Amino acid sequence: MDNFKVMVVDDELDFLETIIKRLKARKIEVTGAESGQKALELLAEQDYDVMVLDVKMPGMDGIETLREVKKRKPLTEVIMLTGHASVESGIQGMQLGAFDYVMKPVALDELLEKMRQAYERKLIQEGKV
Amino acid sequence: MTARSPISISNLLPYLPVILLFAAAAPLGLSCGVLWALGAFGLAVVFLVTIRRLQSRLEEQAKSGWLLDEGLRQTQKLAAIGQLSAGVAHEINNPLAIIRQEAQWMQTLLQTDHFRGVEEVKELYDSLREIIQQVDRCKEITHNLLDFARKRQPVIQGVAVNKLIEDMAALVAKEARQKGIKIILRLAPDLPQVYADAPQLRQVILNLLNNATYAVQRNGEVTATTRLAGKDSLEIIVSDTGPGIPPEDLPRIFDPFFTTKPPGQGTGLGLSICHGIIEKLGGRITVASQVGQGTAFTIRLPLKPREGVGGGRGQG
Repeated sequence: MDNFKVMVVDDELDFLETIIKRLKARKIEVTGAESGQKALELLAEQDYDVMVLDVKMPGMDGIETLREVKKRKPLTEVIMLTGHASVESGIQGMQLGAFDYVMKPVALDELLEKMRQAYERKLIQEGKV
Repeated sequence: MTARSPISISNLLPYLPVILLFAAAAPLGLSCGVLWALGAFGLAVVFLVTIRRLQSRLEEQAKSGWLLDEGLRQTQKLAAIGQLSAGVAHEINNPLAIIRQEAQWMQTLLQTDHFRGVEEVKELYDSLREIIQQVDRCKEITHNLLDFARKRQPVIQGVAVNKLIEDMAALVAKEARQKGIKIILRLAPDLPQVYADAPQLRQVILNLLNNATYAVQRNGEVTATTRLAGKDSLEIIVSDTGPGIPPEDLPRIFDPFFTTKPPGQGTGLGLSICHGIIEKLGGRITVASQVGQGTAFTIRLPLKPREGVGGGRGQG
């Protein structure tokens, strides 16, 4: 049973809508945000366990958003999603405390597995395991 | 041990009036953008000089037998440098923030009617932008430093090492392929899970793979190997067919700020961060290199962490 709260952040609305539909079909509680700014607004209202964050977005990009998320809600586990592998931003992302750095396209099952591991980490950190 | 003037923030104080002078002078004349740039640059130089001095002092002390055991020496050295540089980084962040804010304020002022039609406004604006950019560069260094020094307690959970290496290799593969570098994975099948901190381990592997491709430059191989080592450990080896590391550089390879990359291309913190992470997981990272043949980094990790490592669960 997956009872964690997920936010997916991506400026590509087609991708965003589809992944939300598919995650909901797997009984995951999921919210979408189409920008880093929007993600931070949502995060201010309530906590999320796992955030799936696109790296390349106009305005506030994924790295900048990650930095802010880790500042404001450090226990949120962030999985970075990237369209094109950039080693540089991968290193930066991991250094800023991302849980994982995954290349698109990623199979939903694989992403789900990573979400579960990220959530497990969050529980461990909260001392709940 | 003879007493020496300690490295501290007070070493930076003599430079502060200079910086403040620039700050005060800036609004007075139109050509002060340059002065500002000098101020920001000065700050960066002072910062780096302080760190280097600190490093050489520690080395002197190490040579004089202050720290005996080689492994212990390395660990204590890293800890000491980490602590001090974090202090310096922290102190420098504040003036950096002020410099940045003032420069931005000046940019705002330049947009007012008062300056309309003034010929040099665009140039001034550009100078200020450059200052802001350089401040951001300094900020990145200080952030890296703070990250290096931060005592991030590992969070221990089961990690499938082979999968983790495959993921990170995939990230590096595209850039590597463009340079004619082949990434070879020799992963032991049926490798047991290791109890470690997954994101930190990813950071280490990504750093090593990236360093390896950087070392090879063009047309060569980077190999990642995993294997069981005894009953209760595993080994991860990242090797390359690059030019190798000269013997005289080898002992300093994990030192913070030690880099062979050209200025501006590396902070020299990558490997020392890796070293810190692996030590905290109860493992060891070592290097072997042959000039003209290549370099291999070996990580040895216990399958289960020792007592007291991480706050996580025992074993599942």
